[in-house]
Amino acid sequence: MAVHAPTLDPDAPVVYEQYEDIDQQQETYIVGMWAFLVTEVMMFGALFFVYSLYRWKFQEEFFIYHEHLRWDWAGLNTLNLLTSSFFMAKAVQSAQLNNSKKQRKFLWATFACGGLFLVIKAIEWIPKFQTHLVPNNTFHWPPVDAPGMGGSPEHARIFFSLYFTMTGLHGLHVVIGMIAIATLALMVKFKAKPITDYIPTEMVGLYWHFVDIAWIFLYPCYYLIPK
Amino acid sequence: MAETEAHSEHGHHVISDKVLVQTFVLLLILMIATIFFARLPLDGPKYFQGLEPQLRGFQNLWPLTNAIAVGIAIWKTFYVIQNFMGVKYSTKLVKLWAVCGFVGFGLMYIMFFDYAGRAWEPVRGWEKEPSTAFPRDRVTDAGIPYKLYPGTEEEGKKE
Repeated sequence: MAVHAPTLDPDAPVVYEQYEDIDQQQETYIVGMWAFLVTEVMMFGALFFVYSLYRWKFQEEFFIYHEHLRWDWAGLNTLNLLTSSFFMAKAVQSAQLNNSKKQRKFLWATFACGGLFLVIKAIEWIPKFQTHLVPNNTFHWPPVDAPGMGGSPEHARIFFSLYFTMTGLHGLHVVIGMIAIATLALMVKFKAKPITDYIPTEMVGLYWHFVDIAWIFLYPCYYLIPK
Repeated sequence: MAETEAHSEHGHHVISDKVLVQTFVLLLILMIATIFFARLPLDGPKYFQGLEPQLRGFQNLWPLTNAIAVGIAIWKTFYVIQNFMGVKYSTKLVKLWAVCGFVGFGLMYIMFFDYAGRAWEPVRGWEKEPSTAFPRDRVTDAGIPYKLYPGTEEEGKKE
């Protein structure tokens, strides 16, 4: 591939012919990632919009249903994701400073936070499967472990459908993010060819921060509904 | 937040530890604030017992606490985007993309007018449409008499 600004440094990132310089090339990568994130915002946005409509319509009942969710576990997960975002930002910083050992350390710390998130999510989800709150043909409201809870079964089905769809989609993003982080950490360790600068870490970092932002909105929407 | 002057060998901005730690601590404080405001028993019956009747008028505060929760979430998002995602130190083009995603999301809420405004513009002949989350029979909930539909079966029945 032809380059515009050949450099004596063999480790320097290649500037491809369509770019003026390395800054423009890197900006293009970042803008491309942001364009992707915008589509992600619109995808989650549509779900948040549906949620807002039903919440507006059934505020009082949504309060009853949300009492069956564990705000404390979810709060721990919020803390966990914020910490993971901090680790990810540190990983990007280390990549920018060419400190690959530190970079890998923070990438694996972020990965561990992602794993912890999924464990906590499983702790939260499993009882809902056991008490038939998953909106399939076995769905039952009021729940078997709290028969006195009010609210209509139809609206409870709407609430739990939205809950499982949105938190499930978010969980899927966490899994994808973890795969990306682990792949990146291994590529950095084995000095894989595509890793010539900090940009791949920045890309994965942007994705991971988006996952954090989605949770920042999911947490109050589902777990902290005021009366 | 304090700016940093650190730059890597290729000239891009390196966000300092100080900024990252400050952002992280602020996010934790805001997380605690979200929980605090959401679980504040502002509308619990015990809380309002013994208050003057005029003060009880403020019992139903869920719209306010909702607004606080969403406001804090937006605030947290702003700090994550600015400092963790580095948009604060990015080019104008990156800033434009970062903003347009969230503005686009906000614009989606224009669709709310369709639901909120159904009762304001009843459609003749649609009164018996199957109910949705926002059934069209809200025209009666809103106090609009059915004589708005001259010639329909419902005319005069529900006035």
